[in-house]
Amino acid sequence: MTQDRQDYVESTTPPAGYDPRREQCLDFHVEEDLAAMAGSDDKNFILTKVDTLFDWARLSSVWPVTFGLACCAIEMMAASATRYDIDRFGAGAFRATPRQADLMIVSGTVTAKMATRLKRIYDQMPEPKWVVAMGSCAIGGGPYFKYGYHVVKGVDFIVPVDVYIPGCPPRPEVLLDGLMRLQDKIRGRRGGSKPPKWVLDYAAKIPYVKR
Amino acid sequence: MEATAIHALLQSRFGDAVLDYVDGFEKGSLVAPGRVGEIAAFLRDDPALGFESLMCLTGLDWDGYDATGKGKSVDILGYDELGRPEASDRVGDGDLGVAYALYSPRHGHKHALYVRVPRAAPEVASTAGVWPTAAWHEREAWDLVGIRFAGHPDLKRILLDEAWEGHPLRKDYVMPGAWQGVPLDGRDYAACKWDESGVTLPDDVKRQDAATGPETGNQG
Repeated sequence: MTQDRQDYVESTTPPAGYDPRREQCLDFHVEEDLAAMAGSDDKNFILTKVDTLFDWARLSSVWPVTFGLACCAIEMMAASATRYDIDRFGAGAFRATPRQADLMIVSGTVTAKMATRLKRIYDQMPEPKWVVAMGSCAIGGGPYFKYGYHVVKGVDFIVPVDVYIPGCPPRPEVLLDGLMRLQDKIRGRRGGSKPPKWVLDYAAKIPYVKR
Repeated sequence: MEATAIHALLQSRFGDAVLDYVDGFEKGSLVAPGRVGEIAAFLRDDPALGFESLMCLTGLDWDGYDATGKGKSVDILGYDELGRPEASDRVGDGDLGVAYALYSPRHGHKHALYVRVPRAAPEVASTAGVWPTAAWHEREAWDLVGIRFAGHPDLKRILLDEAWEGHPLRKDYVMPGAWQGVPLDGRDYAACKWDESGVTLPDDVKRQDAATGPETGNQG
């Protein structure tokens, strides 16, 4: 075993207080509570949450509604095409009707006329549903903030937004990253939460690979 | 044919209806607003001219300029840094106008027609019967600048909603704060703070944050 390999083994030592049952999606806190309620030291309960399974299914098949507004939609189409292939993350099935969609990617400038249609499409989507504001126009009006007499200064005036993706327009990689942050959110984690220190230490040892 | 020669031909044919030669970016003739239709028909049908293509029809706002074309363009109103519509008590003055950019595919020459109309009664004769493409262009000029075209077959807004008030590309247009319940003004972004009070995190995420601290980790 080389020295690097040794370092890797040491650095993957979990921190204090780490319970491996967490990897099996076991809610061991509830288990302890139930044992206390039963007045017993024996924790003869095995409990898990079906929510975890449902959330996994939801985040693995986030189907967006076919909804492009401006030049950001071109990048959205590029993200769904061969080179970037958003279908790798389960979000490649762009539905032609909002009734089958979970996600609305607001990709472009929201004008006053389109805002009414956008709200109607959002209302037609079944719960649970999520909204991604893609690009500076959808976030806050973008270059039309000063003189855009017909531009809504942020789509969050119209519908609640889960993930904001900056850029003008954002590259497809950033859209994929925003999708993964949305999947973090569906999973119950806060988007952009920091990984544990022992994961970062391990990541720092990976040599940079030139493409 | 040169633009000056076309202008002289128009003057000899229509007399007082052709006012001045305009030596601008697009060289052309300033004509009377009421007689644009017959001048346009002559420009299209005369074999020596042959202007069968209307490349563009533009509505103009000479707010800040006097009748002789002297003056300075005024600043238009927008939204301020907090997203509120800027207001002004200044009343717009100066003429409105229309510019027609013509091209002859047969002869390869260009000419422009200019029209000035008073701001109080902006009415120009329609050329939709001469060039069919002018119908939509004139609807756009009516929609955004507010110029009426007499004799247009269906003069209504083309870009904005029928219920829109005002003509947004006029220089004295005041930006709307809302339209039919849709907010069009902004918010005070400097005062926006991320409120985490209502956010509940899983226990392990809180523990991760406490372990690594706010300064380390990726900010993804």
